[in-house]
Amino acid sequence: MTSNPENNSSVEIRPIGSLQSCISKPDGSAVFTQGDTSVMAAVYGPGDVKPNKALMDKATVTVTYKPKIGISGVREKALERMIRNTCETVLLTTLFPRSSVDIIVQEIQDAGALLACSINAACLAMINAGIPMKCTVAASCCMMGKDEELIMDPTKEQTKDAECVLTSAIDSSAHSLIASSMQGSCSVEQYHKLMSVCQKACDKVFEFYREAMERTLSKP
Amino acid sequence: MAASMDDFEPRVVLPGDSLMGHIPGELHGKMTLGPGLRQDETKIFSTKAGILKRKNPHTFWIDCHQKRYVPAKGDKVLGVVTQKAGDVFRVDIGGQSQAILSYLAFEGATKRNRPNVQVGDVVYAKLLVANRDMEPELVCIDSSGRSQGLGVVGSDGFMFRCTLGLVRRLLLKDCPMLKFLGEKISYEIAIGMNGRIWVRAKSIHTTIAVVTALTNCEFMSEDDMKKMLRKLVAAGFHDSRPKPN
Amino acid sequence: MAAEFKTAQPVEYYKQFLKEEVRPDGRELGEIRSTILNVGSISTAHGSALVKLGNTTVVCGIKGEFASPTVEEPKKGYLVPNVDLPPLCSAQFKPGPPSIQAQVTSQLVADTLLSSNLLNYEDLCIKEGNMVWVLYCDMMCLDYDGNIIDACLIALLAALRNVRLPVVTIDEDTGLAELSSTEDRSLNIVNQFAATTFSVFDDSILLVDPTVEEEDLATGLMTVIVTQDGRLCNIHKPGGTPLSTDQIQDCIGRAQTRAKEICSLIDDTLDSIER
Repeated sequence: MTSNPENNSSVEIRPIGSLQSCISKPDGSAVFTQGDTSVMAAVYGPGDVKPNKALMDKATVTVTYKPKIGISGVREKALERMIRNTCETVLLTTLFPRSSVDIIVQEIQDAGALLACSINAACLAMINAGIPMKCTVAASCCMMGKDEELIMDPTKEQTKDAECVLTSAIDSSAHSLIASSMQGSCSVEQYHKLMSVCQKACDKVFEFYREAMERTLSKP
Repeated sequence: MAASMDDFEPRVVLPGDSLMGHIPGELHGKMTLGPGLRQDETKIFSTKAGILKRKNPHTFWIDCHQKRYVPAKGDKVLGVVTQKAGDVFRVDIGGQSQAILSYLAFEGATKRNRPNVQVGDVVYAKLLVANRDMEPELVCIDSSGRSQGLGVVGSDGFMFRCTLGLVRRLLLKDCPMLKFLGEKISYEIAIGMNGRIWVRAKSIHTTIAVVTALTNCEFMSEDDMKKMLRKLVAAGFHDSRPKPN
Repeated sequence: MAAEFKTAQPVEYYKQFLKEEVRPDGRELGEIRSTILNVGSISTAHGSALVKLGNTTVVCGIKGEFASPTVEEPKKGYLVPNVDLPPLCSAQFKPGPPSIQAQVTSQLVADTLLSSNLLNYEDLCIKEGNMVWVLYCDMMCLDYDGNIIDACLIALLAALRNVRLPVVTIDEDTGLAELSSTEDRSLNIVNQFAATTFSVFDDSILLVDPTVEEEDLATGLMTVIVTQDGRLCNIHKPGGTPLSTDQIQDCIGRAQTRAKEICSLIDDTLDSIER
């Protein structure tokens, strides 16, 4: 991870990697890695839904988040809500009324930026499944340490000393904020700086999606 | 930055990519948008990740790898009968809800002369109605009342599932795989647009050999296909093989 | 006539009002419902508060108990918040395990307590490595009319400021703790916070302090939590319509104004009961 001494910020994200169609049964699946953090997502859809859960005008999107160890608790429910609403915003749910899109997210390893990695994995899995989307979404994490030092895509060790950690998800068409979550506190000016660093990181993730799809689709 | 008519290259697009820059300016206003493209007021954008292709002069669509079938009108599909209810059969075609097949939608069927279809039978039928708000409807006859190859398929064949990409590849006009197989092995095949293929050959061994060949050939080049076929023939899977006792 | 229109086409119904820059309950787009606060009503709790934000009613009770501290932090006490949305408050909550809404709100409250540095947790220590105060903060909603997060956080903050913990002495010989029945102390709250929730209607219009109908119709929700000194504690936006930087800046500004109002409301309420 390199840092730029001039403006005291780190604009490099950790190496990103992905794997698509890694599991055979789901309609779409992907593994997304950022540095040592790794998350796998699988998507089933558009499929059957129980009549009591069916929505008349759009698809029902559900997300199940499984932590690596232990059982799902309140923290996992909050992550599920965040990922679910983000995915629902980018899916064209009105094309599939009375059907369901089920997204399962499995944490493989958490070395920082877990929520961002999960959202990216879910997006890549949805692209892999071929479900119609309005645009893609990319998430990134950025922290502000002591001395107002901005670090992009921090590791878990680095976040221990953070004043503020911001995870935000941006859409690919208008580059507006879809989802946001913060720990710690910061001033409003610092928040805007963190946001612009997150935007840059998300742009890199969008470039990565394009390269990954070009690689996958260039096979005959 | 509109490209000109002739230099349109198939290119990879992601969901949300606006297509105005890739499509020649003089065509705006009279385009046919195929699967994967959507119009939102004045903007045309892609909804799936795949390769943007064009068929002269006005038709654009996106080719993508997809496993889940979404019913579309006019598609011929293979379904499994799951229920007999009143005047209709319910057929599972792999979409989000089951499809309906009426008793009268078979050749020669009348109210007194019901078709011989049981629960568990595989039928090859055409989608008459398929939109997001209604249950899909199937028929086994065309508009003039002839079956044209549609209907219940034989129970001694084998139906297997595959990706939608393989199905589209096999249905191309000059698909080499089916021709190569046909040179050495005689077989019957029904290809459903819903990612299901039914095959029947003279013996069970040959049927399974054909199934394996088809599943493996999705990403193979022509030479690889020929090599694989030669291996099959060498292993004895062709018509002149004596039937095992 | 209006009731049928509202049931059949709720979005159109709302649009008619928003064209005149007003909402069905008479508020302007940026207006927050009247907030009523009452503290100290539960005598069996160490601290309590009742908040009415329009119709949304939340009561918060705080009970302190002794506990062993965690191994990593032997000098710090801790807070355990819990948000309960019982079937009493709304027809959408059925009896049984906590609903997803309750769990998500509990998690958000817990995260806010950690992020805001509300109090010095070492004040809750009785004997290092052995005994600390743990404060169970239970927020129960009595009437669910939207914007539960704001109401819960106001109730929690007011209740914490209302807390009076008995002074504890450890008997040297037996090692047992003794509660004084005469002396008690309040918590040293160093940093207060307040939340403001916004809903996005029809992908374009921002409404402040949504009612439950506005939340159901919303295409996106965002909660901005700000501390008393103007610092941002959280921008909680779980998906929903994308917002531009200008819209977010506008929301932050409103949230800062609201935080000052809430803190002075709590100050006034506490002063009035001391008199």
